[in-house]
Amino acid sequence: MSAAALLDRLGRPGDIRLGASPRGGHPLLPTGVAALDAATGGGIPRGRMTELAGRRSTGRTGLACAIAARATQAGEVVAWIDPANSLDPEAATTTGLVLARVLWVRPRSEHDVPPAAECLLGAGGFGLVVLDLAEAAHPSTPWPRLVRAAERTRTTLLVLTSHRQAGAHAALGLEITIRRAEWHRDTGRPTLLAGITAALTVARNRIGIPGRALTLRQAACA
Amino acid sequence: MPRIACLVVPDLPVAALCRADPDCAGRPLVLTDAPGPHARVVAASASARALGVRPAKHTAAQARALLARLIVRRRDAAAEASAAHALVDVAASLAQRIEVAADATVFLDAEGSTHLAGTEAGLATALVARAARVGLEARAAVASSMTVARLAARHGHGTEVVPAGSERGFLAPLPLACLDPAPDVALTLARWGIRTLGELALLPTGEVATRLGPPGVPLIRAARGEDERPLMPAAIAGDVEESVVLEHAIDNLEPLLFVLHGLVLRAVERLGLAGIGCVRLGLALELDDRSRDARTIPLVAPTRDVKTLLGCLRVELEARPPRAAIVKLTIVATPALVRATQLGLFTPAGPSPERLATTLARLGAMCGTEGVGIPVVVDSHRPGDAAVAPFTLPSATLPANGAAAPSCRLVIRALRPPQPLQVFTERDAPSFVRGAGLGGRVVGAAGPWRVAAEWWDDAPVVRDYYDLELTDGGIYRCFRDRRSGEWFVDGAYD
Repeated sequence: MSAAALLDRLGRPGDIRLGASPRGGHPLLPTGVAALDAATGGGIPRGRMTELAGRRSTGRTGLACAIAARATQAGEVVAWIDPANSLDPEAATTTGLVLARVLWVRPRSEHDVPPAAECLLGAGGFGLVVLDLAEAAHPSTPWPRLVRAAERTRTTLLVLTSHRQAGAHAALGLEITIRRAEWHRDTGRPTLLAGITAALTVARNRIGIPGRALTLRQAACA
Repeated sequence: MPRIACLVVPDLPVAALCRADPDCAGRPLVLTDAPGPHARVVAASASARALGVRPAKHTAAQARALLARLIVRRRDAAAEASAAHALVDVAASLAQRIEVAADATVFLDAEGSTHLAGTEAGLATALVARAARVGLEARAAVASSMTVARLAARHGHGTEVVPAGSERGFLAPLPLACLDPAPDVALTLARWGIRTLGELALLPTGEVATRLGPPGVPLIRAARGEDERPLMPAAIAGDVEESVVLEHAIDNLEPLLFVLHGLVLRAVERLGLAGIGCVRLGLALELDDRSRDARTIPLVAPTRDVKTLLGCLRVELEARPPRAAIVKLTIVATPALVRATQLGLFTPAGPSPERLATTLARLGAMCGTEGVGIPVVVDSHRPGDAAVAPFTLPSATLPANGAAAPSCRLVIRALRPPQPLQVFTERDAPSFVRGAGLGGRVVGAAGPWRVAAEWWDDAPVVRDYYDLELTDGGIYRCFRDRRSGEWFVDGAYD
């Protein structure tokens, strides 16, 4: 990197402003999905909990992978807590996830999930911790403890669930529902799953405006 | 002239037992070399000696007669060995050239170490302080010879520095008994009227050798502060070992973990002296049925976190309990450097190596070593295959441009292992699906496409895969095993 490029990134000596008022707003982790960033005001909140709720095949895992992919490509280290052992690394790489920056944690039982999450959130330094509870039947998660740990270390916590259950503990609540599956049908050629179209609603937003909705199209991984 | 530091623990057998069993510390305690009331007392704590107990003179019964609340224990060779190793670790944290004497006295080359502590007095103080960290009340001295350093450490005031050239003056008032002469030699010298080292040092060597024989020469040289040989450093073993022989056999996990806590705590303190972590924990158990049980517990990352190490031991012992009660415990901690990392100017800092190592080890104790790591794509024809690799902190540089641009795509959530399905077909096409947690009429389908792999193996994989959208809202990846004809679901698009 040239000296000029370095100065451009770091700022030139004359650019330094003393006594400038700090910029307002909560620090955000960009999701890499332009429509979602626009709906949430720039991304999901850092140091807070975001809940992404949706039923099976609504595209919640693909969206979580995309958010994690954006974080890893920005140089963050991401932890993925996966009690159901359901992460498919090959499929995840199609979203751009840098596997070398992902710590994959597979607790042996549901009882180990909260301690594992608390341990990772307490360690600090992880840009994003994804807690995948989408397949958990009756998760008993100590939300206040996780939220406090995330706030203390300024770690972003993204929880995947089948339905919203964190309630007021989540700073941002996203609900995703499928509208329709798309099949690629050509005469004389085999039918293929092309993708899905899903509806995403910002159901709760403590740092911005809730109620915004957007349509998300997700192509099927190859 | 060399400068030698000496680190010594007076009454090592007593100190080692008090280190292994802190309840005995500060209480009148005697050690015997055999069971029973007639066993000879071989060592006594300072408080027991103050009450009149004399090692090698009294038996356990006689000592008890002097003091009813006296604690009588057998000498613990394992605890003594652990204490001696701990003392070596203390010396190794401040010096490279170390010699360990047969009586566990440790000598170190002070010339190469004073820069770490500033002065020789600072070195002696640091040695004593670090010995206290590993549970040993030690004494240290620095002098120009091993003999003077040893005598100064044993008979000084905790920490002692004997300046070069003043050794004779320091030794002169010490009694002759400091050199532990043989009884007949001591008697002869007493008959000559020699009572201090200073008086002995003034005698001509040749005359003394003629009258006392071979034992006389080293004695007179020691009285003058001269060594028989120079410092002979030995290689220091890498592993940290802590042992304890139990007074009563333990057949329950909780008391066993209580004892292990003490062992792990002491091992961790020793590792802490060198600023390193434990990457592998060995546990050797001697059982009541005279058999042995040895196991090794790998850790995901080097750590010194006692809770983590105990968690690993608990998981291991719960998974494979020993077949009999335990009479002796040994833990061996394999040391390793905690990984360092280079921070980047434009990348987020990421987890600190020390905390990450502890976190990984703790997660490893919770989830097993195979449950924590970097996800790895396996070079396999079986869809959904995955593995983990040990997690290491990624480099500070941003990922290469080879990674695909972040995009929101429908991915597979794997079901491991594949779940059996009941599939009803119409004209060879799936029409209705029923399985655990899913089921419904098929409203969209793609496939089949065949996966044939591992045909060279005894159990080849031949599957017809389908993507099925059901009325329950899910889109599943299902397959029919061509060999058995059974249906399975191995993932859901999400």
